[in-house]
Amino acid sequence: MGEDMPCFEFNEVSFTWPGGRTILHRQSFTLPEGGFTLVRGPSGAGKSTLLRLMNRLEESGDGEILYRGKKLRNLEPTALRQQVAYLQQTPVIPDRSVREILLLPFAFRINSGKTSPSDDALYKMLGAVQMDDIGLDESGIALSGGQRQRLSLLRTLVAGPRVLLLDEPTASLDSESRRCVEDMTEAACRQGTTVVMITHDGFTPKTLPAVEITLADGRVSVCR
Amino acid sequence: MQMTTGALDISWVELGVTSLFIIAAGIISLWGRLGLGRPLLTGAARCVLQLAAMGYVLRFIFDLSSAWIVFSLFAVMVVFAVRIIRGNVSEHAIPFVMPAFFTMFSVYALISCMVTGVIIGAEPFWHPQYFIPLAGMVVGNSMTALGLSLDRLFSDLKTKKDTVEMMLCLGATAKEASRDIFNDALKAGMMPSINSLAGVGLVFIPGMMTGQILSGEDPMLAIRYQIVVMFMLVASTALTVVIVLGIVRRRCFGPAQQLILTPGKSPGKSN
Repeated sequence: MGEDMPCFEFNEVSFTWPGGRTILHRQSFTLPEGGFTLVRGPSGAGKSTLLRLMNRLEESGDGEILYRGKKLRNLEPTALRQQVAYLQQTPVIPDRSVREILLLPFAFRINSGKTSPSDDALYKMLGAVQMDDIGLDESGIALSGGQRQRLSLLRTLVAGPRVLLLDEPTASLDSESRRCVEDMTEAACRQGTTVVMITHDGFTPKTLPAVEITLADGRVSVCR
Repeated sequence: MQMTTGALDISWVELGVTSLFIIAAGIISLWGRLGLGRPLLTGAARCVLQLAAMGYVLRFIFDLSSAWIVFSLFAVMVVFAVRIIRGNVSEHAIPFVMPAFFTMFSVYALISCMVTGVIIGAEPFWHPQYFIPLAGMVVGNSMTALGLSLDRLFSDLKTKKDTVEMMLCLGATAKEASRDIFNDALKAGMMPSINSLAGVGLVFIPGMMTGQILSGEDPMLAIRYQIVVMFMLVASTALTVVIVLGIVRRRCFGPAQQLILTPGKSPGKSN
């Protein structure tokens, strides 16, 4: 694979909801491999749909989306989602222990051959996001909103995705949690993970250059 | 009342007297301003007409004793059962009528044939006197179970969409992501049958057994028939619900194993 191969390539992609709202109208653009991409745009422009198209939670019809040079529609969905992880805006934390929540990806067949992290490794991960005081046997639903978001981001990262699609991960978080989540995403990007993040506020990564995508009226403009 | 064929006869006049019970219920409705008078009257009239029609149809079919007629009536019963399920399930974006019809028909045919042909030993196995009442009980029981299960499956997939998608995003297959929802839907359908197994003879005396005893049959024989029927109902309900839920669950996900049944929105479509 060549070094200049984009992570994602959109070729003349269109997407319209059945009600007639157009999210993308024959749009072509690329997202860099290993980079940090920010997605901006007004509410209802379809930023979440754009991310959902990238891991096939929604399917495009016209046009083609390529992931690392391969047609997205030809890739096995579970294998794709293992590599291209999408984190929902509102963290979904089931009524289970913190350990079970973090190890959830290993409960699925796609990760059955992988060794799950030990308790020590999990405690280390929690410590890195300022959750040292949380025990692995504690219930996840007792955590605060900010802690839930950090926990769900850790759960997404624990299976080692190559691409992280983040849907406004800092929306409605207090400043401390927000800083923590932003630091986590920058750290993941520095370690080679491609990050694509929807943001409503004026966030830009402190330590990394970022590509900015603006989505409005079915059109995408890219600012590198 | 006179004794005929083992049971005490009820004349048409005596039957007319029982309408006093409905009138009593109507008076309660009027007194309490419940507004149930009309539905009560319509319901009672339908009950009499439908059962009278059923009586004549059964007598006709028993006299004809034709396998084609028996299986055709059976198919009609299944069609009505599926129509009732369709009316009771609020979600119609995912088609379930054909899988429900074919599964109900095949499972009931298989189990009813096993019971009438092998266990009861009726000759021929489709003997209308045995096949039709047993099939009727199985159809009615499984209809309720399937309706409950499908409604639960659809409603849980919609209300727990975020949880299902969270698991899909972590690499789960559609089957893995909806396992808990599938199991809950299956339980919802099976619980009435399982409760019936536990409560029969203690909490209630089943209609079929009561009918046999009233018609002068030995209670021990009535009990043996009832046990066969109860086990048959549980087996047919379990098989039908598992098969139909399995097919319908697959239809709730698209080719990319993405959930296409979502609240307030038809399945996503691109142009």
